[in-house]
Amino acid sequence: MPARSDGEWRLALPVAAFFALFFVAPLGVLFVVSLFAEPTMQTLALRQYARFLGDRLHLGILADTLVLGVKATLVCLLLGYPLAWVIARARPRVQSLLVFAVILPLLTSVVVRTFAWIVILGRQGILNKTLLAVGLVDEPVRLLFTELGVVIVLAQVQLPLMVLPLLTTFGRIDPNLADASAALGAGQWRTFARIIAPLSLPGVAAGCVLVYAACVTAFVTQTLIGGARLIYVPLFMYQQATGANDWPFAAAIAIVFMFAVLFVVVLINTVGRSRRALVHG
Amino acid sequence: MTPSMDRRTFVRGGLAVGIGALSPGHADARDQLVVATFPGTWNEVHRDILAPYFQKKTNADVTQTIMLATDQVAKLAATRGQPPFDVAILDEGPTLDAIKQGVLEKYPAARSAHFNELLPPFRGEWGPAISMQTIGLAYNPKKIKTPPRSWDDLWNPAYKGRVGLTALNSSLGMAFIVELARLKGGGESNLEPGFRALRTLLPNVGAISANLGAHSALIQQEQVDIAVHNFNFIETLKGKGVDVDWVKPETGAPAWRTNLHIVKGAQRPDLAFEYIEGHITPEVQAAMAKPPHFVIPTNRKVVLGGAIVDKVARTPDELTRLVFHDWTKINEVRAAAIERFTREIKL
Repeated sequence: MPARSDGEWRLALPVAAFFALFFVAPLGVLFVVSLFAEPTMQTLALRQYARFLGDRLHLGILADTLVLGVKATLVCLLLGYPLAWVIARARPRVQSLLVFAVILPLLTSVVVRTFAWIVILGRQGILNKTLLAVGLVDEPVRLLFTELGVVIVLAQVQLPLMVLPLLTTFGRIDPNLADASAALGAGQWRTFARIIAPLSLPGVAAGCVLVYAACVTAFVTQTLIGGARLIYVPLFMYQQATGANDWPFAAAIAIVFMFAVLFVVVLINTVGRSRRALVHG
Repeated sequence: MTPSMDRRTFVRGGLAVGIGALSPGHADARDQLVVATFPGTWNEVHRDILAPYFQKKTNADVTQTIMLATDQVAKLAATRGQPPFDVAILDEGPTLDAIKQGVLEKYPAARSAHFNELLPPFRGEWGPAISMQTIGLAYNPKKIKTPPRSWDDLWNPAYKGRVGLTALNSSLGMAFIVELARLKGGGESNLEPGFRALRTLLPNVGAISANLGAHSALIQQEQVDIAVHNFNFIETLKGKGVDVDWVKPETGAPAWRTNLHIVKGAQRPDLAFEYIEGHITPEVQAAMAKPPHFVIPTNRKVVLGGAIVDKVARTPDELTRLVFHDWTKINEVRAAAIERFTREIKL
């Protein structure tokens, strides 16, 4: 073992160099910019952080964004979990077709997918016209420019990121386990609750992390569907950077936002891992 | 690893190929100019009218990339000395920002054949105003039978939830709040009356778009029935068969200059100059002023016609007397205004 691994770490050098050059270094620059007290970048101070963290409006925007991610991720999980299960259980030919259908949205740009949703959710959109025609509502429901609308669109747009990791996890669960559980007298629900669900947790955690990170940073979807009245951190950051030309403040928001998202991601991972230890331990 | 190829040779060869792929390509057979353009009407006239004119005149190619003014200034400031494009298109406010940031070149007016044909207010030292944009009331004639006449009509209780506004990161949004402030006793440096008026308008507001691209979609998708919008954008939409019309408010239409600039450190300043020259020739401006674009000309040799005469100004002289705000003053309060807008409209 030691003889074989000797020097193999060097294979990671190119990607490490790439990472250092194009991610760590710019991140460092971002951090330094965030330490300037004024847009003209002359004196160093922690003023920008105090400005963001000491204002209820700003904290509200941060909280809204983090909560938006939680909602969209939950909807994604709710829709994605059964879907992944069905796909995992399908016959090989059907399965490859279904997987293709899941991946298909990833092949079109997120801008196009989001614009399609504007046509669906608008006051004169397909959804409202249908609801009106069927007589379920008397006047158009407001969906565009509401948080509900943003959650719906994010859940659809990011669904593949949830389904794919789940699919891998389901594929790895030994079918004999379910049979053994049945042979020992457990019903289907019990087998699911005691065997399948815990074993699929790593996939759930991976899917949730991917979807969450994608949802909270989804600038295009948030701004096109949410409009200017629902402000989330990405739009707020953009306004500060380009509209107000206040780079230090925008940089500070970016840093705070990164740590806030990181915290949630670590939380999700911890939950996934602790349950995994419980199953295997 | 194949035995015939020694490891170091392989690595070196690989590196050479990699570096080759990363380094800038060799010069193309034809010269290439990269310019910025705005979305909507602008992108269309630049692609269909200016680009062919430029290519015929210089035998060079032009790549047009769509970018809002504030994004252009931010990109130019971030890439000082290595600008990603050679010609910037900026509204008055962002132009002043760009001058302050030192990312523009002065326009070599002495070498220009058409600069002095421009109406005097449009002869910018840092680049000519190639047009102007003017805002007014856009409305859906199918839903609103009596055309609106003044900004006050936006407050009509019948329009509850049907009014569309846009955020302050575009000149459109900014000009509207400044105009509101001006009409209510304030002005560029005192936006307070404007914000106060805006707050009373909120019950009528159905949507506030986050940017200009989304703003046109509001009207196209009939999400709102009446909105503050650009004259050209609405005429272009109308030309495409959308149910929409545009009215100049009784109190006058706020307007601002739209300028083309040679960017400091441009790779091809010579071509950039030719491109801008093209945009101020009478023939290009006359073509752009035709339906459905109705881009307002700044060259006084262009005869005004169509919707421009019907709705905006009958004579070139009248064009110079629309409501022009002082963008130097606006820029001073812009950051605070954006912040306040965010705070107060997020109810």
